[in-house]
Amino acid sequence: MQEFIELARKLLAEQLDLNPQDIAMETKLEDLDADSIDVVELIMALEDAYDVEFPEEGLENLLTFGALVTALYQHLEQVKNG
Amino acid sequence: MKIAVDVMGGDYGSGEVIGGVLRWLRESEGSVILVGPEQEIAAVLAEHSYDAARLEVVNATEVIAMGESPAIAIRRKKNASIVVATGMVKAGQADAVLSCGSTGAQMAAALFILGRMEGIERPPIVGAIPNARGTHSLLIDVGANVDCRPGQLVQFGALGSAYASAIQSIAKPRVGLLNNGAEETKGNAAAAEAFTLLKQQPKLNFIGNVEGRDLFNGDCEVIVCDGFTGNIVLKAMEGLVLFLAQQTMRELGRLPSIYQAVDYRQVGGAPLLGVKGVSIVCHGSSKSQAIYGGMKIAAQCVESRIVEQQQQSLAELI
Repeated sequence: MQEFIELARKLLAEQLDLNPQDIAMETKLEDLDADSIDVVELIMALEDAYDVEFPEEGLENLLTFGALVTALYQHLEQVKNG
Repeated sequence: MKIAVDVMGGDYGSGEVIGGVLRWLRESEGSVILVGPEQEIAAVLAEHSYDAARLEVVNATEVIAMGESPAIAIRRKKNASIVVATGMVKAGQADAVLSCGSTGAQMAAALFILGRMEGIERPPIVGAIPNARGTHSLLIDVGANVDCRPGQLVQFGALGSAYASAIQSIAKPRVGLLNNGAEETKGNAAAAEAFTLLKQQPKLNFIGNVEGRDLFNGDCEVIVCDGFTGNIVLKAMEGLVLFLAQQTMRELGRLPSIYQAVDYRQVGGAPLLGVKGVSIVCHGSSKSQAIYGGMKIAAQCVESRIVEQQQQSLAELI
């Protein structure tokens, strides 16, 4: 999971022109000025990296970076495990 | 020339949209694809005569509402009219897409379906403002991005510069930053940072801050601001024009022709810049006259190859 989180952190930092260290698990996406387009861009980049399609359901309710990457990682694990 | 029209999302319903499209169809040699609920479109078409050989209907039943998160809705609603219509441009089945639905959804569709140009994060909407020199100054962004990072304003400057070079044949368009004063230190933190970043771009002809009253003097060809500010400026101008038109009509009993050139109810639409396809954003409150104007703008953008021209100029600026 750590590898997934670090990649997500790096991708989001690049998108938002931030230092990856500024993005903690508990950091609110709103506090990073990340909007829904930023979130979808991150998801699409992770989809490319892991060759998977993430669902959109419930995304609006994931308010922190940690909540977002955890939900995405759980889906990735489900896909891997069939 | 084929234009895909998203008939959904306008304040006045699909009848007004289709009415404007059919007028353009009669007066041009192009063809159109109407994208939306086919039964609703058929009911409107039944009231008109038109050249059926140049009109196609593609069924799309989903609509992205104004309150929805645009980017997520674009992924979730694959059969939304704006998604289907934009997809036709991507697939080469249409040369341009036009919509008066949710601007956020149209921007997200353009970004994720058409794709962005190299070096561009978010596509802005360009508004053409008539000026005292008899030309147009370009105000960017007039509403696609309400929150902008300072670096994005630099990209808007580069896009505006590329667009002005392409459309107006200006070698080095002057770029100004809309601010509340001319001095370098004016403005909020984002404006001050944008000023610093713009000044550091050697290939941009940045002339400094521009105040609201200077929008119409023609001293610069490109004026950048965030979409929140730009949209308020645009709509304040539209309201002022309507007010002055009413007062002028009351006093003189007629309107000088300049009012037609600045009346948003007739001008119609504006292109999204920085994306790999022509996407024309129309007012949500567009009536058929505005849609007709938007169709003409879409055709002009295709004919003048704004996408290729922007890409070429952008490569030299970024």
